[in-house]
Amino acid sequence: MPAFEFPGGIYPPERKARSNQSQLQVAPLPALVTLPLKQHAGNAATPCVAVGDSVKVGSLIAQRDGMISASLHASVSGTVTQISNTAITIEADGLDSWHTMPSLDWRIAAPATLLERLDSSGLTGLGGAGFPTYIKAQVAEHHAIDTLVVNAAECEPYITADDLTLRSYPADVLEGAQLIARLCGAQTIIIGIEDNKPEAISALEHALPQAQHPAAIVLKVIETRYPSGSERQLIKKVLNRDVPSGGLPADVGTLCHNPGTLLAALHAVRDGEPLVERIVTLTGEAVSTPGNYWIRLGTSVASLLNGVGLMSGQLHQVIVGGPMMGNPLATLDTPVTKTTNCLIAATLAELPPAPVESPCIRCGACESVCPAQLLPQQLHWYARAENDSTLETLNLFDCIECGACSFVCPSFIPLVEDYRLAKQRIRMKQIETAKSDHAKHRFEFRQARLAREDAEKQARRQARLAQTQKPSTSTADDHSTPEVDLRSLRIAQAAAKAAVKKAEKVLARAAEKDPKQRFDDLETQLATAQENLKAAEARLANARDNAIHKDTP
Amino acid sequence: MGDTFSWWGIVSAIGVLTGLGIIFGALLGMASERFKSEENPLVEQINALLPQTQCGQCGYPGCRPYAEAINQGDALNKCPPGGDATIHALADLLGREPAPLDGEAAIDDTVAFIREAECIGCTKCIQACPVDAIIGAAKQMHTVIEDECTGCDLCVAPCPVDCIDMLPRSKPLTQWQPLVSASGIIASDRPHARSAHARL
Repeated sequence: MPAFEFPGGIYPPERKARSNQSQLQVAPLPALVTLPLKQHAGNAATPCVAVGDSVKVGSLIAQRDGMISASLHASVSGTVTQISNTAITIEADGLDSWHTMPSLDWRIAAPATLLERLDSSGLTGLGGAGFPTYIKAQVAEHHAIDTLVVNAAECEPYITADDLTLRSYPADVLEGAQLIARLCGAQTIIIGIEDNKPEAISALEHALPQAQHPAAIVLKVIETRYPSGSERQLIKKVLNRDVPSGGLPADVGTLCHNPGTLLAALHAVRDGEPLVERIVTLTGEAVSTPGNYWIRLGTSVASLLNGVGLMSGQLHQVIVGGPMMGNPLATLDTPVTKTTNCLIAATLAELPPAPVESPCIRCGACESVCPAQLLPQQLHWYARAENDSTLETLNLFDCIECGACSFVCPSFIPLVEDYRLAKQRIRMKQIETAKSDHAKHRFEFRQARLAREDAEKQARRQARLAQTQKPSTSTADDHSTPEVDLRSLRIAQAAAKAAVKKAEKVLARAAEKDPKQRFDDLETQLATAQENLKAAEARLANARDNAIHKDTP
Repeated sequence: MGDTFSWWGIVSAIGVLTGLGIIFGALLGMASERFKSEENPLVEQINALLPQTQCGQCGYPGCRPYAEAINQGDALNKCPPGGDATIHALADLLGREPAPLDGEAAIDDTVAFIREAECIGCTKCIQACPVDAIIGAAKQMHTVIEDECTGCDLCVAPCPVDCIDMLPRSKPLTQWQPLVSASGIIASDRPHARSAHARL
């Protein structure tokens, strides 16, 4: 089968040789770990330990909060010394005693048990976005998945963590892939790997024949071109399927996982070890012994880099992630998290700061390298002008922030930063709009409730009045109630009834579409309509009573 | 002449056109009756641009009444929580000139907080709250639901024991925004520390 092409792409200097020459090593145990409560997409976890508690490696210290969230476990044994709003700090006792869960055999265990295990071990994607793995495994409930794509492309310069993972644990990664394939019902597993990792490829080729059961595994070596490691681009390349705009790989029957995630999934299931450590590439010209290390989560970047011979005098900046998509660290007193795959300690000569930006000359270089087929130049103008509606029609949210456009820009315009800011701005606006809509619906509900209470009070008053006046003559009626137009009240009541029906229909339709979601706002709207109906009915009944009283004498 | 001019032709043409007029008029009449919307669509659009704090600082009891008043020709600049952004959005929508804000701009996003130890349970704040964000009962302690509170401060004045504070709203981690220095117009004025995309 030929390799298909995604549009655009660039060939940056790879600089992988610096970190992939040495064997995978284990970093020394840290004396202190700081574990942020939010290391993943979604909600932050909620602490479930107290200061002073002693914990073992793998003890649950924070419980996931809501659907898209992940639990957090102690990565060293020791004492909890601090719990803040954002992180839990544990002082290590140096014993490294573990608290593991019972081992499971993924071949025979029930899928629900396996999912529960992935959930309770706090597993998230180790590639970058940090999406909770158990949710990703659940997509089989709504989508038919036929292929699991193992994303071993690792296209960013410098990073070699997946390369070393595959070289060191090829059989385990394949077993992890089989485990996830079984959970999501995929019959085929495709490993997409760039041709600049010959050792990992030969390790996989050795391990492949023993790992073909139950799902068939195909190894696909692809050309080295950035950003082939992006989910959409890799799926296009190995399967020739286009993930729709705003959609997920599951929409085209695929699921994409990083080798590190598969290895961690196997460790969680087979060995009962929660996610407490990961493989991180420590590299850059400013460290003397670069390489890949097993590192406990929460270890501080400063102590790690010092451990591999950081030359502070030459250090210019430390970048988390790759040079294309990563972020520079403001302080080295930062912990390693579940999504940290690489730390680059760069010298000034190695990664010089970008030259001063010049105006756009409309050369179109950015457009030809964009792997998402967007118009970076147009996005640039509209992002600077804060023209958000045009940005959305130009599909800003399909931008994968790969940085290819910034890389080729001859005017050194930081295009991706513009896009990131614009995306953040639009997201904030959406949150604001949702909030004000919510307040509006609450306000309308309150108005309707007050109107209903008022109408009911009026009705009760009328009833009391009618009772006290019945024995006597009913001449008082003329001044107690003004003539009410029965017809308009009846119309109002019919309109209110129609509004209730409409609100019910909208709510039912939304609930049918996504049964797991909560629809507080729609429920408030329905309640408002119901209050309006009650008020209209009370007023109508009131008016009818009056009319009858008038007629009878 | 007799071939080209006939009364019958004129009468039938007038008849057909009149008939068409009556049919389409009836259709339009039915459609306007059937698909009548009770709300003025422009008022809805104006209301959508207002911040929905329901604070009444504009002098109207809520955002919707103010939207109706704007539609009747009232000034655009009476909404302090919306600030300049709202004034400009309204001016764009209605094709009017934006005017400077009439009143003091809200400095920060705030939320009401009841010092529960001092609350006497009078329910006055509950009655004042436009969005039902305060829970409690007579002679029971009251408290504010932070997520529902719009920060309108209508509950502060009615409180007989002054136990309600307006505090800055805590921002969730997910809504963190990077601090962006206003980029200078002249490129060489800008700081050089733009290292996220350092060149390889």
